Amino acid sequence: MVATVGQQNELNQAKPGLKGEVSHFSNERIGSKLMAMGVLPGSQIEYIRKAPFGGGCYVKVDNVLLGLRKAEAASIVLK
Amino acid sequence: MTKTFTIALLGNPNCGKSSLFNQLTGLRQKVGNFPGVTVDKKVGKLALGNRQEVSIIDFPGTYSFYPTSIDERIVVQSLSNPNDENYPDAVVYVADVTKLEKHLLLLTQLRDLGLPLILALNMADVAGQQGLEVSTELLRKQLGVPVVMLSGRTGAGVDDLKRLLEEMIEQPGAYAATAPFFSMSGQEKAVADAAKAIVPGANTYQGLLIAHHYEWLPFLSEAQRALLKDTSEEHGFVSLSSQVGETMQRFDRFTPTVRSALKSKESNEKGITERLDTILTHRFFGPLIFFGLMLLVFQAIFAWAGTPMEWIETFFTFVGDQVREILPAGWFTDLLTDGIIAGLGGVLVFIPQITILFLLIAILEEVGYMARAAFMFDQVMQSFGLNGRSIVALVSGGACAIPAIMSTRTIGNWKERLITILVTPFISCSARIPVYTVLVGFVVPPRTVLGIFNMQGLAFMGLYLLGIVSALGAAYIFKLILKTREQSFLMLELPEYRVPVARNVGLTVWEKVQSFVVEAGKIILGVSIILWFLASYGPPGEMAAAEAEALSAAQQLQLDETETDNLIASRKIEASFAGHIGKAVEPVIRPLGYDWKIGIALITSFAAREVFVGTMATIYSIGSADDEFTVRERMAQERNPLTGEPVYNLATALSLLLFYVFAMQCMSTVAVVKRETKSWKWPAIQFAFMTGLAYLSGLLAYQLLS
Repeated sequence: MVATVGQQNELNQAKPGLKGEVSHFSNERIGSKLMAMGVLPGSQIEYIRKAPFGGGCYVKVDNVLLGLRKAEAASIVLK
Repeated sequence: MTKTFTIALLGNPNCGKSSLFNQLTGLRQKVGNFPGVTVDKKVGKLALGNRQEVSIIDFPGTYSFYPTSIDERIVVQSLSNPNDENYPDAVVYVADVTKLEKHLLLLTQLRDLGLPLILALNMADVAGQQGLEVSTELLRKQLGVPVVMLSGRTGAGVDDLKRLLEEMIEQPGAYAATAPFFSMSGQEKAVADAAKAIVPGANTYQGLLIAHHYEWLPFLSEAQRALLKDTSEEHGFVSLSSQVGETMQRFDRFTPTVRSALKSKESNEKGITERLDTILTHRFFGPLIFFGLMLLVFQAIFAWAGTPMEWIETFFTFVGDQVREILPAGWFTDLLTDGIIAGLGGVLVFIPQITILFLLIAILEEVGYMARAAFMFDQVMQSFGLNGRSIVALVSGGACAIPAIMSTRTIGNWKERLITILVTPFISCSARIPVYTVLVGFVVPPRTVLGIFNMQGLAFMGLYLLGIVSALGAAYIFKLILKTREQSFLMLELPEYRVPVARNVGLTVWEKVQSFVVEAGKIILGVSIILWFLASYGPPGEMAAAEAEALSAAQQLQLDETETDNLIASRKIEASFAGHIGKAVEPVIRPLGYDWKIGIALITSFAAREVFVGTMATIYSIGSADDEFTVRERMAQERNPLTGEPVYNLATALSLLLFYVFAMQCMSTVAVVKRETKSWKWPAIQFAFMTGLAYLSGLLAYQLLS
């Protein structure tokens, strides 16, 4: 269940359309900030689309829409 | 009670806190600053029943007591220290009821401070539309705080909140939590107790916050910091993991409560926001729509601001003329009309542009579009050391750098915000248009190329592009130079699209326009008075001699009255202090191809660029400065007295154009940068590198072409 850094199930390596459940965060600092915004282990996350210019990700976490940078999305590890 | 009862308004970003603040206080709000930082502090007054007024502080929106930007640090700084000047007597916590699960973390943290607390569930109107049922009674019992449902947009429930506030002020103790929500580990308790002992009046949770943030909390001394560092190490206290543990524990405790108190209709249907975003944040159409919108904003500024700007100019000319007629001629009348009234007009003439720009941007912000623009351009902006949000400032800079710089307050990261402020004046603003109009003709003939393109039009576009390129280039250089320990995040909530509330938009525009007029106005006025003095006075006797000489020359040449006045004005400016300064700087600007007359225009242009045309008109003794083409014709005739060559040849004109593209010639911008960065250091640096670049490029252009 527990994935480590660099494994396939980091969010930014997924394709838009993917739905899943947050397992944990590979970067504690980014993770703590995401948690404060309500992105928690167990949250339902949907990767909706890539940002223009190949930048970040447009995601939906439970019922909240978020814009994330690549590095921020990469720290979210899915179950 | 000697001190006014103070209520802090707190909540997550996008919880609708500002709407509620505006509902409660209306126009009775003031913008100040939190001590030592550039973050705006909004304080409003509210009259409750028969009691005396209470004051309400609108704190920046924040997700938790673990801040990542300077804005959010303010909240921790003010609430972890009971002796802070902004420490409130009570807290109203605003949460978006449609996202309650995400919005209660900070509430439970606030609860542990032991302050009287009310939970205001905002967006009751939206909840009703969504068929969301809320048991406020269950929330009150399980969270241990009084709960009120309201809508900051419609005003429903605001009276209930006021009644609750009245009761709370009578019996504050009854509204404060008795037992903490979060139970600390032994290790956390130990460091919290050590920190609590340092700050008088702090409770254990405040102690824990101080232990987490001792490195930057401004109220601690170096000795106290060292002590806290030792204590943390001694107990093996690691801030980040403690913080994660605390967050998890709080969510674990309140999530079941929220789930049992809220009944929502399950729907898998995509909301209107998601459907709109399919196009508005699309990889190709998203940016296209953005540029289309910005084009419309520009069109609106140029289409709508022109007429009111003319009214303002006409009004100030009229007032100046009236004062001249009523008061006896003399230095005081001159100062009043040419210095103060003209200076005031110079400030107030920007109001239509600023108002329209702020209005449109405030509407886009209220609707929720700006977050999308920031999201879409974040990647591009990051590579230049900027933030997604910088795009708003850069685009606004095309109208006027002043509102553009003020709009950077939305950028949380200080380094990114500072770079945005420093490079925005490179974007060609509307004040450069008259200067470009006069000079472009000397550089490029009005020929048509490729059938449709006017060469001068292309040159104009080139100047604008040059501004954009230099802004991004300078940003890149600052990115390499400036260091910050503050981590940069995008992590941006994209709020639901909403119909804008007129009150919120109106108050935002009012506050920004007002602060521009007062703050920038003071400096512009001062500079105008100095410039007036320098242009009107000269070393003793010289002005009178110049006037007498001009008079006799006019008689010899049999000039009419207007021509005589023009000649006198021209000779007097040569003899004035400004003329002497122009001659003094001539050696410096000679390598760029400029003479002392251009020197005077350059100096006066440092008040504002558009002054160039008017100064040229005065120096070349053309009666009316309104007509840029008359000025141009006269300049084309100007010959170098030594060589007989035209002064405004290709080399000089191009050199001047480049100078005006790059140079920081706007006192209002300097004033605003000083105000926004809270120091003279940054405007000084900005002035030096912009003007240095202007000098170098002018020098290069002239030396290569002549």
